[in-house]
Amino acid sequence: MTAEKKTKKLRVGVYGITGCAGCMLSLIFNEDELLDIAELVDIRAFPFIKEKKDERSFDVVLLEGTVVQPEDLELVEKLRKKTKILVALGACSSTGGVPSLRNFIDPEKYRHLVYHKASGIQDMPPKPVDEYVKVDYYLPGCPPDKKEIIRFLQDAALGKIPKMYPHPVCVECRLRENRCLLEEGKMCLGPITRGGCEAVCPTNNLECWGCRGPVDDANLTELIALLHKKGFDTDRIKARLETFAGLKIAQIEVGHKKWLEESH
Amino acid sequence: MVRRITLNHITKIEGHASLDLKIRNGKIEKCHLEAVEGSRYFEGMVKGRRFDEAPEITSRICGICSCAHTTCSVMAMENALGITPSTRTIMLRELVTIGERIRSHATHLYFLSLPDFYGYESALAMSKDHRDKLQVALRMMKAGNELIKLNAGRDLHPISLQIGKFLKEPTKEELGRIRDALVSIIDDTVKTAELFATLDYPDFERETEYFSLVNPHHYALLYGNLKSQSSEFEPKDYKAYLGEYHEEYATANFVVKEGKSIMVGALPRMNNNWHLLKGRAKEILDRHSIKFPSKNPFHNNYAQALELVYFTERAIELIDNLPETGEEVKVTPRAGHGIAAIEVPRGILWHEYELDENGNILYANIITPTAQNLRNMQDDIREFVPRLLDRKKDEIVLEIEKLIRAYDPCFSCSTHFLKVNWE
Repeated sequence: MTAEKKTKKLRVGVYGITGCAGCMLSLIFNEDELLDIAELVDIRAFPFIKEKKDERSFDVVLLEGTVVQPEDLELVEKLRKKTKILVALGACSSTGGVPSLRNFIDPEKYRHLVYHKASGIQDMPPKPVDEYVKVDYYLPGCPPDKKEIIRFLQDAALGKIPKMYPHPVCVECRLRENRCLLEEGKMCLGPITRGGCEAVCPTNNLECWGCRGPVDDANLTELIALLHKKGFDTDRIKARLETFAGLKIAQIEVGHKKWLEESH
Repeated sequence: MVRRITLNHITKIEGHASLDLKIRNGKIEKCHLEAVEGSRYFEGMVKGRRFDEAPEITSRICGICSCAHTTCSVMAMENALGITPSTRTIMLRELVTIGERIRSHATHLYFLSLPDFYGYESALAMSKDHRDKLQVALRMMKAGNELIKLNAGRDLHPISLQIGKFLKEPTKEELGRIRDALVSIIDDTVKTAELFATLDYPDFERETEYFSLVNPHHYALLYGNLKSQSSEFEPKDYKAYLGEYHEEYATANFVVKEGKSIMVGALPRMNNNWHLLKGRAKEILDRHSIKFPSKNPFHNNYAQALELVYFTERAIELIDNLPETGEEVKVTPRAGHGIAAIEVPRGILWHEYELDENGNILYANIITPTAQNLRNMQDDIREFVPRLLDRKKDEIVLEIEKLIRAYDPCFSCSTHFLKVNWE
């Protein structure tokens, strides 16, 4: 027998509702750390790669996906009751992600793709998880940062919850000494978007699409004015802002009005 | 006697799916394999957007095949705009596609498929007794992801792979690192193919139409005609050959040829291209008893493993022959119609777009590999299950799950465009 005190491992669940499995893969694709993490914490349920599950209760649940149907909501509510800490994993879960773009488009655009029968279950307007239940922590982004997921689990195993990165993408972008894509006339959403991604898109010469959602003090008015000055029309700016986090951006007050609503 | 087998939320597959089976007196009365994933209507969401926004948006259909969707979307747009990228750009895209194939096959074979054959509930549960095998898998996954990342900026949802060009290309030094990473996993790919050549697969055969891309020179990846035993046609003519329909109980579309099931993926690719294998992949194929064409869907696993060997060597060859520079092509919006069909880990992926004169999207259609395989999986289950009926229920369930997993289905992909209610 070892003299070492047996400490209780963090009980973790990893789940997906409607989504693309990309966030769960972002966890798995920590190839060097995966097997150690699987020993550090007690993965009690992970249906994507695990048959057996013990769903009695969790310390942490990582949840991927957007709520788009009643089954999704059922699982979200069930998991909320069973876990101490509910973590929105990725853009869909945190901000609605690309599926939530449907809230802003004319249903005529996709009506031909819907073959509903007269009765039965219906689609719900796609929404992030925190529109329905309390979310304790966010690992935003499409995809979420691989290392950020591991750091979160390591901290949580020690009983700590890390702070979210508070600054916009521009801060890390400058640190990496990138050229400013906004100045070059690209529709970059870096100034209003939460960083922590090491500005990976601008570093690869692609403008920021805002996949990590808005920072707390996002100055939307100024960005929109700047984009207008660069020659982008309102429809294009709006469509871009709506792509990954439209529902969250719509909640930002701009001169006492909600810009996205106003421009509809 | 009536037996009902219901598998709710089948584990170890991409996305969510359930199977409802009803068996009366040894005959299958009902066999409904359905995705229980909500609909996301991607084709509707890209309508009205500019042509160059589609690859960014459609990449989000699927995580594990995000490079596939991006590449296919980019190529369909290029066809619509009438532009041809440089040879260097095309070869870099092939490298990204190969990187995705390596990480996807490695993940599927070891994390989703092998636990069934070894009698474990998951790969994580295998880690005590078979840590070495998981390390083989993780090394290949890492090399595949590195290959994507150094070319396209990020392993999931590639960044720099765009219409007509790469926004940022790998440096010589980075290409050298990718090459080293690929060389370092050759032994792992060989071990994997040897392992999957000798697994105890169920003795089950059912012939179907095996569709893949073919081209005369290489095991086809991004370019080629569509070929099966009974047909060969160009991608642009696909509507004359393939039909889509929906079933009331299912959330995904079904694809058929003349009303009959078809199969896409590693097995059909190997059935149509095995004679083009060379190097270590050919040696392994020659050495083992499983031969192609094969009518056993479980051999899809072995075909994937052989592809790991072949494409790792092929990627090294591409790097060694990569032109130093490529001419940049000009991308100008115009009205047009473009179709692309490419081979992605799970089979043929189709993207089709119609653009107005400003380059805005009027119409989009996307057909995923799993949609093409759905009907075939059901037809296989119908024929496979009656011969299992003398076994215990949990054994029957495991065998069915093994069959479904052999296809490496992706229900996230298959349900993005269609929602049908079930009773």
